[in-house]
Amino acid sequence: MENYARKLAMKIEKSALTQGLIRCHECGCLTRQTSHAVHCPLCDSPLHARIANSFQRTAALLLSSLSLYIPANIFPIMTVTQFGVGEPHTIAGGIIALIHSDMIPIAMLVLIASILVPLLKMLGLGLLLLCVYYRWQINARPWTVMYRIIAFVGRWSMLDIFMISILVSLVDLGGVAQIIAGPAATAFAAVVVLTMFAAKSFDPRLIWDIQQ
Amino acid sequence: MSKIELEACAECDLLLNPALPEMGEKAHCPRCGNLLQRPRKQSIERTFALSIAGLILIFPANLLPLVGIKILGNTKDGNLWSGVAALFQENMWGVAILVFLASILFPLLNIILSLLISAHLYFNKPNAHLARWMRWLQHLDEWAMLEVYTLGIIVACVKLASIAELKFDFGLYAFIALLIITGMLSSSLDEYLFWKQIGELRQKVGHED
Repeated sequence: MENYARKLAMKIEKSALTQGLIRCHECGCLTRQTSHAVHCPLCDSPLHARIANSFQRTAALLLSSLSLYIPANIFPIMTVTQFGVGEPHTIAGGIIALIHSDMIPIAMLVLIASILVPLLKMLGLGLLLLCVYYRWQINARPWTVMYRIIAFVGRWSMLDIFMISILVSLVDLGGVAQIIAGPAATAFAAVVVLTMFAAKSFDPRLIWDIQQ
Repeated sequence: MSKIELEACAECDLLLNPALPEMGEKAHCPRCGNLLQRPRKQSIERTFALSIAGLILIFPANLLPLVGIKILGNTKDGNLWSGVAALFQENMWGVAILVFLASILFPLLNIILSLLISAHLYFNKPNAHLARWMRWLQHLDEWAMLEVYTLGIIVACVKLASIAELKFDFGLYAFIALLIITGMLSSSLDEYLFWKQIGELRQKVGHED
């Protein structure tokens, strides 16, 4: 890997944009920035030097997901009825129930996937937005790594939603035992989807652009 | 238009000389560490073969029951569709649609698109839609969540183990096989090579016109 790094590095570090080149988001090919080059010559997708309105879109999606995170945690995500006695569970309640039944590793898994990941993800995206907005002069590499992790882990929060869909379909035995999905499920699903879109609409090249 | 013999990093926009890593090696961006290229052995052939295998497995994995439970003599089976159907019945249509997309439709589309693209590249057949399919595939990849679904099955089973008797059906084995195949599929697909080949096929058509 080291020799590639040497071979790859040009004499001076320059971004493609400062050299008048646009990298296609889809296929990666470079096109010279001209007034008429609006579509990539290789794959026909529209060319943008940076994701269009990246900051505003990410901020809007982040704020929406942040506001939905509250109902997602307050309301019950599912209601378990056994022998006619219903018991609503919130996300945190489900984790506590797992701990009580001595399923510590599984409880940790759910804790990470449905509480820590969304929370840290929103925090991380917020920091990235602040960094771009206030033009913080930072070592951009760890920030890019943070972005990469945020973009990668988001989908794992769907764990809870999938688990509920399985439980709801299996435990449907009328009076004996029944599990019903609660209103928090919709809110939580929206949080996961919105944060995934937020991560996708953030352009990590903005962090590098502001460094002098 | 003259061809630009340079590349740029997707995550930091650093202008680079094209990386030419050997088979099995990886090229990372020297500035931000982003993975630039990861050439794979017989990428097109493997993608073609794996997507056919995936297309076969997706039927038993979708249609056969995955897990069954038994509580006080009452039995119930569930497959991928019954979870979606149960959520729909409870009027949770938003969640139902999301589960349907992430666990059924997108994995299927992913396999179909991989098959279409790799078949065209394998037989060297140009197609005007190749670039569009490749773009769709890149966007869908993130939203096909079979591996997350598997984790969901595991957590659901752990939760149910205390109140019910669990029965694992043949569908689950098909599902796990499908999971492995889709994992191998995404690691065998070398996007850099695929785009290069799509570009070359496109040029070939351009010269014939």
